[in-house]
Amino acid sequence: MKLQMRLNRWFRIGRYASRLRQHGKWGAIAWVTCLIISVIGLSTLAQEPRTPISLLVRAVEAEQLALLETAFETENPDIDIRLVEGPNASDSVENLYTTSFLLGDSPYDLVYADVVWIPKFAAAGWLRNLSDYVDPAELGAFLAADIQAGTYQEGFYRMPFRSDMGMLYYREDILNQLGLDPPNTFQELIDASKRAQAETDIKWGFTWQGAQYEGLICDYLEVLAGSGGFWVNPDTKEVGLDRPEAVEALQFLKSTIDQGITPPGVTNYLEEDSLRPFENGDTLFLRNWPYVWAEANKAGSVVQGKIQLKPMVHAEGKSPAATLGGWGFGIAKTTPHPEAAWRVVDYFTSAAAQKEFVLAYAYVPSRRNLFTDPDILAKYPHYEQLLAVAEETVPRPPVGQYAQISDILQRYLSAAITDQMTPLSALKAAAGETRRLLGDRPSSPSPHQSQV
Amino acid sequence: MTPNTIRSREIRTGWLLTLPALLVLSLVYAYPILRAFVLSLFTQNLSTNLTPEFTGLDNYVRMALDGRFWNSIWNTTLFTGVSLVAELILGIGIALVLNQTFRGRGTIRTIAILPWALPTALIALAWRWIFNDQFGVWNDILRHGLHLIQAPVNWLGEPTAAMLAVMAADVWKTTSFVAILLLAGLQSISQDLYEAHAIDGASPWQSFRQITLPLLMPQIVIAMLFRFAQAFGIFDLIQVMTGGGPGGATEMVSLYIYATVMRYLDFGYGAALVVMTFLTLIVVVAIVGYYLAKVRNTTGAESS
Repeated sequence: MKLQMRLNRWFRIGRYASRLRQHGKWGAIAWVTCLIISVIGLSTLAQEPRTPISLLVRAVEAEQLALLETAFETENPDIDIRLVEGPNASDSVENLYTTSFLLGDSPYDLVYADVVWIPKFAAAGWLRNLSDYVDPAELGAFLAADIQAGTYQEGFYRMPFRSDMGMLYYREDILNQLGLDPPNTFQELIDASKRAQAETDIKWGFTWQGAQYEGLICDYLEVLAGSGGFWVNPDTKEVGLDRPEAVEALQFLKSTIDQGITPPGVTNYLEEDSLRPFENGDTLFLRNWPYVWAEANKAGSVVQGKIQLKPMVHAEGKSPAATLGGWGFGIAKTTPHPEAAWRVVDYFTSAAAQKEFVLAYAYVPSRRNLFTDPDILAKYPHYEQLLAVAEETVPRPPVGQYAQISDILQRYLSAAITDQMTPLSALKAAAGETRRLLGDRPSSPSPHQSQV
Repeated sequence: MTPNTIRSREIRTGWLLTLPALLVLSLVYAYPILRAFVLSLFTQNLSTNLTPEFTGLDNYVRMALDGRFWNSIWNTTLFTGVSLVAELILGIGIALVLNQTFRGRGTIRTIAILPWALPTALIALAWRWIFNDQFGVWNDILRHGLHLIQAPVNWLGEPTAAMLAVMAADVWKTTSFVAILLLAGLQSISQDLYEAHAIDGASPWQSFRQITLPLLMPQIVIAMLFRFAQAFGIFDLIQVMTGGGPGGATEMVSLYIYATVMRYLDFGYGAALVVMTFLTLIVVVAIVGYYLAKVRNTTGAESS
């Protein structure tokens, strides 16, 4: 009691306290409760219920997508986009989406997906068929390969947002010095590399990604399509890995190591490892993704202003190819708000939104006419050359077991470039395993046999 | 009250008291293990639209014929065996040094535990660059420091070298763990034994063979058991350094299981792989446990 009195004096609330005692403690509590309830009630009445649309994105991109989120929500006050930040490694984000769908009731309404996830997610029945929402005429405005990559067994599951594609970077200054044109064929690249290594202080001719991982698949797919070959035909499930074109393509990659124009360590190179010698001015040619342009041209770079890009080299008499990567939106099967989700997708993939996003963050658009948009060209003049690459894009085969066929091919390609197998025997084994997996020719002498 | 009823009451209380622990253990360990056993008898993958279909022992037949599985088992065994032996030899050496009295011993002991305390994935990233064929420090030391090699060795891009490289990284990281465990063992050995042995005319090597090693045996076996369980399930180091490449030369069982379950969504087969690995571990742990009990008995008899 003594303590309470002291406290009252401290806070100078003695008077109020005594009045409260007159009305009774319960009266005061009731009064405060009424006040709180009415405040909450008024605020909910003032606000219309907003439909939440949530999606998981890599943390770096969550910040960037917030730009479009704000723009969308100002125009559409009835929808509340919730960008959930995930890890920056796309594999980890894929795992989080996978786990959420396996548990049944996914908390995500949209799936912001890498192009290679689509067949698996669609085969597992986790995505809605967007054919019911999308206007087919609208799809013509996108890169053809981007649309093809979102298609799985007659259904359409992913609207392309930002594209990605592999290309050949080269040192324009060195080629000029040697009086050479940028190479178009495998042989021209090898010849130019050898001359540069002999006549200039260039150390290596060509670096690429040769570690046993998805990047090796991307590099190989480019030279494979550039040799007129194919990996898997998604409609017939036909496997083309043991055809002469496929062997020729692998022989080209291997010959760059054997002829000393590519460092032997390329067999464990990821994007960063292959970029390093090019950035340092040691390499004439580099196969890589669009981000390299800004990276190699940043202030202080040895090769700033000396590089150019073009579509990947190809076999004599064939046309070039670029592996398609990139991100887009799918709608989760479990979402209770498919209509609202579609409005978000429609906005994010619209020309206006893509343009804003590309201008702000230098990504590559998925709509063809944005490559020649005057505002974008004014900021990024090299997008004109990029369009030449984009027109040649080929998707990775949209089959449900893509992760498995990719792993099979990765292992055998890696075995071939590290001299554990010859290109022919490696590709024959890869073709055999892929056929067995896809159920093309089930009768085969030794199922699941692997030499590696 | 007869002693019999008191005894039975004690037993009942004992069971009641252990019940919560048993319940937690069965929920956390027994249920998932049993679930994996059951799932391994089903086929549940993209070809069955992720619905489980009972297929008996099909997954195990498939495993027996799966070259990639046997390759990964072989890689894991080789990796575990070689790194364990190297860690044991180096660990004993380091423990013996740290057991001596010298200035700054406390600091050195702290530094010695550091590699083990650092996050594996980051260390693996550092080793990736150390072993880079063009920019790597290791090749530079070998070429320009020691003049042992002429051309740079392609450490991570060549099957045998890649295996050696990941082993080296693992040995570097976990030797300190072994060393600290063994150091604790060394400190429990009484100095009197060495003095008496020296008076009898024994050389330091004889003391090491006849006193240190036998009395350290329980710690050695425990350290090896811990390291075995960890090395057999190694994932992060390999995933970051080589991703299992080149050509599957460093693919470990855990990497294969991860790919099967998370990337291929082949749950039935993945469960079968888990069960197989689990049984392998159980067998090894049982053998070591039996050996450990034997060692304990003999050393216990000797020291008493």
